[in-house]
Amino acid sequence: MLGRRGTLRFLVVPPFLWLFLLFVAPLTLAIAISLRPELGIIRFGDPWHVSFTQYQSIIDSPSWLRLLGVSALMALVVAAASSVLAFPVAYFLAFRAGARAPFFLILLLVPFATSYLLRVMAWKLLLGSNGAINSFLIWIGLIHEPIGLLLYSQAAVILTLIYVWIPFAALPIYAALQRIDRSYLEAAADLGSGPWTRFFRVTVPLSLPGVLATFFMVFIPTIGEYVTPSLVGGTGGIMYGNLIQDFFTRAGNWPLGSALAVVMLVVTVGLVAVGVRVIDFRRVVS
Amino acid sequence: MLDRFRPVRTAATVLVGAALVLSACSAASPGASTGTSAGASASAAPEPNQLLVLEWSGYEAPDFWTDFKTANPTTAVTFEFGSSDADILGKVEGGSQADIYHFYTGWQQFYVDEGLVREIDTSKLTNWDKVPDSFKKLGQVNGKQYFLPWDWGFTSILYNKNHVTGDITSWDALFDPAYSGHVSMWDDGAAAVSVSAYIHGWDETKITADQLAQAEQEWTAQKPLNLHYWTGEYTDFCPEVISGDIWVAYAWQGCYATALADGTQPVAYANPVEGRNSWVGLYGISANTQSYELALKFLDDKLATLTCSNAVTLFYYGCANSEVMAAITDPVLIAAFALDDPSILEHTNFTPPVTNEQRTAWAAMWARVKAAS
Repeated sequence: MLGRRGTLRFLVVPPFLWLFLLFVAPLTLAIAISLRPELGIIRFGDPWHVSFTQYQSIIDSPSWLRLLGVSALMALVVAAASSVLAFPVAYFLAFRAGARAPFFLILLLVPFATSYLLRVMAWKLLLGSNGAINSFLIWIGLIHEPIGLLLYSQAAVILTLIYVWIPFAALPIYAALQRIDRSYLEAAADLGSGPWTRFFRVTVPLSLPGVLATFFMVFIPTIGEYVTPSLVGGTGGIMYGNLIQDFFTRAGNWPLGSALAVVMLVVTVGLVAVGVRVIDFRRVVS
Repeated sequence: MLDRFRPVRTAATVLVGAALVLSACSAASPGASTGTSAGASASAAPEPNQLLVLEWSGYEAPDFWTDFKTANPTTAVTFEFGSSDADILGKVEGGSQADIYHFYTGWQQFYVDEGLVREIDTSKLTNWDKVPDSFKKLGQVNGKQYFLPWDWGFTSILYNKNHVTGDITSWDALFDPAYSGHVSMWDDGAAAVSVSAYIHGWDETKITADQLAQAEQEWTAQKPLNLHYWTGEYTDFCPEVISGDIWVAYAWQGCYATALADGTQPVAYANPVEGRNSWVGLYGISANTQSYELALKFLDDKLATLTCSNAVTLFYYGCANSEVMAAITDPVLIAAFALDDPSILEHTNFTPPVTNEQRTAWAAMWARVKAAS
């Protein structure tokens, strides 16, 4: 029989090991590699010359930092739009779907049955010069030449990412809406408030923790996104994550790729900290 | 109070200890640092009947190694993939278990300097005599045959004659605003530097800082002309040549032959006054392989007639087997490899070796171009 302490160890140690092996250790390695000045084999026991050369290279390349800013702005737009657009979906599931909610929830999750890559590639078929949208516009006579900007642009990246994130984004909001005690809404109705007042004065405030969780859940990974811009971004839709990917896989420059990743991590944590501070998360949750 | 953290400290100690032991074992492994001697010491033990090949995606197709597959039906051949020469080098450096790896000219010296490759015993290759001497030399470093040349081809400008008036005669067509929105450059810094060197007549093995700055400025100005920078010949490039979206592009002859055979678009492949570029794919045998003899057989069979013919006719790659190339009669293939132009190699720029400093600087330059507004 495990005592209380034994049970605690049993519960705490596995996740701790997991986090250490798959999060703390790789992160520490990335930071260590970012402090190497040279390329080539890394062997345990070799002298380790700590250098800030890679960080100096980043400072000397303002376009990389500018791209980080652009990526953060794109992530902000994607996170905000996904949260707003996912809200009606979650609201429908929580308040209107009734007994059929599980069925609609499964429908919401259907896109996950296909690979992420396929879902993004589908947008190429929609937005391409010979794609569905251009073909339709030409067919109805609105345009005579395909609109080139639909695909391979920053707008295409944002549009595709919003589409990809909406089903994910709806889940935390749905959970938050489900937790709302319906008696609050009944009380508000009894006190004479109409549906819109109840929605904006009761439902929305009580769902804010879920909405904010959704926002950050989308914002944080989107800053480092590189697959979607690779597929639909073209030269104008490149994001900071593409630079990191390039240095690791195409240039074989792990030290500079690691330094770029560390800079992104610091900036992302900083932005989230500022966001949490501005929003006053504790007040929202309480 | 501190006892609360004892399990955590104990676990951390165990983990760090395990990591140290594993790292030390890895460092002490003879194959990790002694290069060619590892294979020799391992050869006394019976070889496992399996091969792991570090390849480019697509090359795992059975047509690409059909002779070996037929001759060795019980051998388990598996593939892992790299996405670029740097990626493949990084994987080999990082301790990939691959017995054989495949990369392209320019990167030979790194594998030899870092002890990652085992010399090829060409006396055991039955098809070696079919390889031209000029190709054999590309696989030699310090006078030893470390690499086996296999696929080869050209790089030049592929263009759509519906949208280009006359013939393209210079690499600077990639910078022509008349094709704005329909140009596509390969997503590669070294390629960009090579093109700049051809246009300006620079020695691409001795690019100066000023020249690199000029190249960066020119490629940054060229960026808006591109539909996109392509990364995969048959994924995001060739389909858009065939659909007519790309009019002028940096291209290998594979896509030219594919588009030519498809026939949807009237495509042409330029012979720029500055010369085409040419590249050769090389196979190396890992210094750590336990299957050296099997790896030799695999490489020998890569040069066999059917495998080489498949590379040429199915995938439009040149092959180092000169007999296969001499037997080509298909006009599409003759055009793709310029076999009807006996002087083609006289004005071709062969990819030179790169240094660590060059690839670092060129990749950083290209990243700045990509990040520019």
